[in-house]
Amino acid sequence: MNLNLFDQFLVPQLLGMPLLIPAMLLTTVLIYNPQDRWLSNPLTTLQSWLIAKATKQIMTPVNKPGHKWSLMLISLLTMLILNNLLGLLPYTFTPTTQLSMNMALALPLWLATVLIGLRNKPTSSLAHLLPEGTPTPLIPILILIETISLLIRPIALAVRLTANLTAGHLLLHLISTAALSLMTTSTLLAGLTLIILTLLMLLEIAVAMIQAYVFTLLLSLYLQENV
Amino acid sequence: MLSRLALRAAPGVLRNLSPSLSAGALCAARSFHGGQPCLAPLPPLPERGGAVRHGFIPEEFFQFLYPKTGVTGPYMLGTGLTLYLVSKEIYVFNNETVSAVVFLSLVIYAVKRFGPDVAAFAEKINEEKLAKVSTIKNDSIKALETAIQQEKKEQERVAVRSYIFDAKRNNVAMLLEINYRERMLMVYNEVKKRLDYQVAMQHLKRRKEQDHMIGWVERNVVQSITPQQHKESIAKCILDLKALSKAAQATV
Repeated sequence: MNLNLFDQFLVPQLLGMPLLIPAMLLTTVLIYNPQDRWLSNPLTTLQSWLIAKATKQIMTPVNKPGHKWSLMLISLLTMLILNNLLGLLPYTFTPTTQLSMNMALALPLWLATVLIGLRNKPTSSLAHLLPEGTPTPLIPILILIETISLLIRPIALAVRLTANLTAGHLLLHLISTAALSLMTTSTLLAGLTLIILTLLMLLEIAVAMIQAYVFTLLLSLYLQENV
Repeated sequence: MLSRLALRAAPGVLRNLSPSLSAGALCAARSFHGGQPCLAPLPPLPERGGAVRHGFIPEEFFQFLYPKTGVTGPYMLGTGLTLYLVSKEIYVFNNETVSAVVFLSLVIYAVKRFGPDVAAFAEKINEEKLAKVSTIKNDSIKALETAIQQEKKEQERVAVRSYIFDAKRNNVAMLLEINYRERMLMVYNEVKKRLDYQVAMQHLKRRKEQDHMIGWVERNVVQSITPQQHKESIAKCILDLKALSKAAQATV
């Protein structure tokens, strides 16, 4: 029984050992390995088809040298989608609600894109700090603003994912607690709350997938600018 | 030494296992980094997954309980277990239960509604892959069959080529004959022309001689008529005419 609503975000422990790593790796058991066969069973075919579609979608705008990142980005996308969706099951722990994990994902990847840009095309990546067509008096201020927005990117990436998922989970808990306590007092209100809960659950499923996709898409955009 | 014997006897023993195990066991038992990579034909994948009842309980569980508890056994077990857990508060109803109910009902609805379509789509991907390759195979089979039929036609054509050669030979002979006859006709016409020329020349000469002779005779006769004879002949003609006229008048 949760004492407060934030206990769901505590890292689960078994005999004092944090189970964060197994929680993160749970998604790997759900993914089929590619087989040595030409025609696989329908589930493997579907999974391969989905991954191929996602890869095409995300990596097409990136130019040829950036395709080295496709394995990284698509595995990131798969892990995030599975983590987020599995977290909607009851009593499950969602690793992506922890800011520490999301920062650990966002900061190195963003920094990698910036360093690659500065190393390979320094002029071009510094030129991104000034949008085209700005009037001349605004240039100094705009450069400052663009630099700040560049430095804020990793924090934005991590916090966006964390906040969306944490807020969603909290809302789900709140409304389900409300529905449970209303069931004894007024069944009609409990029914209304259940309808709201259903809609919220649908939204959460959508948000889980969209947030993972947005994370990966933004990283691919930063890559496009810099590679 | 015994270990060597065992090593040599191992593949034979492993091959006699059931087919689902033998391929894996054979592949695993080859000597490390030494033998061929295991390219033996893998046993085929089962087409459908294991049968499940109510979406997540394997059918084997029901078969397992059937001899002792009959058809309703597993359901009694499930109901009893659930009621025990709930009533003894071993499983506590809290907010997660409510959200679990909502989430699971959404999932079950989605699976029931979109499940067959997704399965058909997955099958279609495989079917298309198979069809593409089958098309290539069938096309090449068809091309080979067409080639065989054309080859047979060519062989038949070769058998009758002597007739074609005979016809061609006849054609050529006819052309030669026609040419020969044309030339004969030309020769005949030329010869006739020459001979006609000679004949015409002879006729001309003859006529010219006749004309000349007639002229000569006439000139001589005219020259020989003396004036005396001329007058006598005219008087005679006048007398004859008078007589004739008298005769004519008399008859009228």
